[in-house]
Amino acid sequence: MSNDLIDHDLKVDHTKDESSRQHFVQGMRGYVLNDLAGNMKKVWDRKVEPAFEKANGRKPADGPEVHKTFKPETIFKFYSSMRCNTQEMVWRSVMPAIEREGADLAQRVQVLSQSGDKAQGTVDTNPNFEVPRYVSELDVHLMPGNYHEERIDHDVSQGAVFDNGLGVFSFGLLGDRMEDITESVSTFFQARYPDVKPEKILDMGCTLGHSTLPWKARYPDAEVHGIDVGGPCVRYAHGRAQSYGVTAHFHQMDAEHTDFEDESFDIVYSCMFLHEVPLKNIKGVFKEAHRLLKPGGVMVHYELPPNSMMSAYDGFYLDWDAYYNKEPFYKAFRDADAKAEITAAGFKADSFFEHVAPSKNLYGQDALMEAVKQEGATNDSHVGRFADGVMWYFFGARK
Amino acid sequence: MPDDSSNVSDATPLRYSVKGKRMRFFDAQGVDELVSICMGLAQEMWVLKERQAAMEAIAEAKGVMVADEMENFEFSAEQRQALDAERQGFIDRIFFTLREEAESLEAAPEDEPPAPSMP
Repeated sequence: MSNDLIDHDLKVDHTKDESSRQHFVQGMRGYVLNDLAGNMKKVWDRKVEPAFEKANGRKPADGPEVHKTFKPETIFKFYSSMRCNTQEMVWRSVMPAIEREGADLAQRVQVLSQSGDKAQGTVDTNPNFEVPRYVSELDVHLMPGNYHEERIDHDVSQGAVFDNGLGVFSFGLLGDRMEDITESVSTFFQARYPDVKPEKILDMGCTLGHSTLPWKARYPDAEVHGIDVGGPCVRYAHGRAQSYGVTAHFHQMDAEHTDFEDESFDIVYSCMFLHEVPLKNIKGVFKEAHRLLKPGGVMVHYELPPNSMMSAYDGFYLDWDAYYNKEPFYKAFRDADAKAEITAAGFKADSFFEHVAPSKNLYGQDALMEAVKQEGATNDSHVGRFADGVMWYFFGARK
Repeated sequence: MPDDSSNVSDATPLRYSVKGKRMRFFDAQGVDELVSICMGLAQEMWVLKERQAAMEAIAEAKGVMVADEMENFEFSAEQRQALDAERQGFIDRIFFTLREEAESLEAAPEDEPPAPSMP
């Protein structure tokens, strides 16, 4: 049995029982993120927040104060412990099939990479590449092996773990090919900024390339590149792209220090990337993006919305991952002033933009085009959430 | 029951345990582990339910009265042996959390970046 959401040539066969385990994890995710999270909010609204208000004569000021107040509550403990367990079970539920097929998968990727039948993309990995410590020392979002660990020659296993796990994790909310985020953002971007006619596009921290390939669909004449520090990810991304017949070029590189020439790109993009990077290195990424862009070029980042856009409770809810999901840099990023950081990296302050794109998969092309006409990004408790109603926040600036 | 993936000889082993500090939420010792065990049990129970549902659907399609047959059924020696091997994987998955500490120590990062300071 294969994961229904994976329809390219790198899919692996899960046994019936493994598939049942995955079905269970999907059910558990629905239960934890909808039912349990809903109950937790009710306990907050009806019991914990009123008690805080009575004792302090005011409501909690911000996410950390909500967190501190809520931590001793049983509902918080069960929500948190069950969410951690569910997250770990996502990855564990897909690993046995990848262990069985690991060597074969590596070979399949090589065959696809070398075949120019459907697409003419390229991939380069660097055996002496040094993975940044903020990646190598961490199992990000509780995924054992992270994006980069390698055990055999041409290893793609961690790419496969991420792809298959994402299929279980997203339970269909990421649309066809699990590309909905960038599909929605790039469609919105193209309609909103029709003057941008890119010849070269770079996707930083591309992992499996599901944030890379939609750009090629928007701008078929552009040369599209994806970089990632994980060797298994860029190899897998290239195999996946070749399988889909999309020409894209993947490189094992660090977004702070790429090998590309000055002023060589028209769009520098990232998707769900910055929040996994320490703020100090994010500043480096912005500087590198500025160096790589041609004058007039655009930097675009899809991300979790900033804390300044949310209520104290929603801030607490989204920052949960920074404390318990091994994404420790996430909070500092969401607390930061993106506009100030971008300006410090040399971008024009008045060119800063932020938007919320409705999910193309969920709401359709028409809703997306309607949203293009609206100004700026508005506060909406659905933004950045993965459970009910999906809206994608992105920001950027011009050089 | 072809589901004992751990015995495949040419498998490329992956690390199942998350390295570094484990998240803990309950004050009483062992409760976090008990939650993990309960969730593992619930998951395995669901696996059985799916398998059972498939079996009943197949049997019914073939006109077999499952309830009557089940009562008098005995596994062959070969079937029993396969089932016993399967059972070890079953137990290991349910009590997975009890091997986590040891495996995490083995894969311990030298310098895991800290979470933001706790409020």
